Amino acid sequence: MRDVFIIGVGMTVFGKHERSLRSLGYEACLNALRDAGVKPADIEAGYCGNGLAPALQGEAGIGQHVFWEAGIRGIPVVNLENACASGSTALREGWMAVTAGFYDIVIVAGVEKTVMPKGTPLNVGLGELEVRLGDIFPGYFAFAAQKHMEQFGTTLEQMAMVSVKNHFNGTLNPYAQFQKPVTVDEVLKSPMIADPITLFSCCPNSDGAAAVVLASAEKAKHLGKKGVRLAGSALTSGTYENQKDFTGWEMERRAAKQAYEMASIDPKDISVAEVHDAFTICEIVHYEGLGLCPTGEGGRFIEEGHTAMGGKVPVCPSGGLLAKGHPVGASGVAQIVELAWQIRGEAGKRQVPNARVAVAQIMGGNKGSDTRACTVHVLMKD
Amino acid sequence: MGEASKEEVKIAPTYTPIGIGGVSWIVVEPGLFEYPVPEGQKPALFGNRCTKCGRVFFPRRQICPDCFDEGTMEIKGLDSRAVIYSSTVVRIPSPAGLKPPYAYGYVDIPADRIRLHALLEGTDLASLAPGTEVKLVIAPIAVNKQGQQVIGYKFKPIS
Repeated sequence: MRDVFIIGVGMTVFGKHERSLRSLGYEACLNALRDAGVKPADIEAGYCGNGLAPALQGEAGIGQHVFWEAGIRGIPVVNLENACASGSTALREGWMAVTAGFYDIVIVAGVEKTVMPKGTPLNVGLGELEVRLGDIFPGYFAFAAQKHMEQFGTTLEQMAMVSVKNHFNGTLNPYAQFQKPVTVDEVLKSPMIADPITLFSCCPNSDGAAAVVLASAEKAKHLGKKGVRLAGSALTSGTYENQKDFTGWEMERRAAKQAYEMASIDPKDISVAEVHDAFTICEIVHYEGLGLCPTGEGGRFIEEGHTAMGGKVPVCPSGGLLAKGHPVGASGVAQIVELAWQIRGEAGKRQVPNARVAVAQIMGGNKGSDTRACTVHVLMKD
Repeated sequence: MGEASKEEVKIAPTYTPIGIGGVSWIVVEPGLFEYPVPEGQKPALFGNRCTKCGRVFFPRRQICPDCFDEGTMEIKGLDSRAVIYSSTVVRIPSPAGLKPPYAYGYVDIPADRIRLHALLEGTDLASLAPGTEVKLVIAPIAVNKQGQQVIGYKFKPIS
């Protein structure tokens, strides 16, 4: 396995865009190519993550459109779908190709448009029995919240603090969809969606795109780019055992273990993390799953301020999915863009001082009361 | 395939396809239960069971993932009594046409050592707390885009 470096990153502002998927993807790719200082003809392969275009826009295989708009032609292009982990799965595919020596330089993009009419949940079709039986995304996380409260005494206020923290961080990030802080009271009193999940406990539906350029050590050196090392990558699926524990995700722990081992790090080494905070309870569970705190102590961990800016290990400095926004297939790549900026010391007002080891975690889709795909990536400053 | 698939055919005809004139209802998925519930019979959900290791599955699986032998799966009517494991009340309309508020969650069927995703009857969360004993009902759950009643299953507190 060869070392792989992130040598260029770029993204669009997240939010509501009256533009096509390919236009958003183009902007992100152009930014990443410019940041890397390379031309379209230098790129040897392209990987594009998208979750819902076939369901929402009636469009499939968006990668060829996006890369072509950015001038990238004739190379192998792979389209990847793994729900919310589509972008991070594309990243992993790109990483695998470079680390294995198939290519020296590749581009990875994530693009999505999921803004829905006001007051309607994300409609991904009725193919699943659970959906026909009334399942909605917030409902599944309502169960996680209920069981976490029941088993560990996690409180509604602690969960609300995740939204408060991430909305505050969003005000520091010009790329974030939401630029206004919220209070614990506002989160708790916002309209109930599925008890105990309120509106401000949920991430928004968003439009946006993000892209990164990956290169081998030799290629990066040849281009005169220092880059950020992508030191660990793991992708897991679930076992979907019938009576799983609803207070955590075993596949997340497995992914974290694999990625940390690959990068030779310990959870104590982590300076900053971006996690799948699609709902406030998720972030609390991810503190535990990623080993940032012991099992059951996630609620206390946020309450004591350890994951806020200036805390022991800031989580979601970008505002996370809750405030930066969640264009499903783009989010996994956007996490990498944010963490590369953090490690390069270019994160502006939300810069975590001396960020050396960064972890990105995202998971996607539901299956049998578990998630379908979970990725964990480790970025390091060498 | 063995006996199991023959039996499957017996409980499948409850499926009424969309588009045939005069159809006013449709089951949420063919083969999960009989509808209308035959006279004199209790409503039941049909899963399957691996005769080799005894594990029960709902919805049914093609093959036992552990024993991995063909022909070991038999149709199994699940016990109609369950206990709520987790519950929520949804306050927004579902894409499947369920009108808010409605409750759903996961229920455990102790007799079959299995946990199911299921709608719950009622909208008062306090009466649907984890640990509440419930029983199966086969009932309309929504109206689909074609205007048909969708027949599904729910669990209702025993009180």
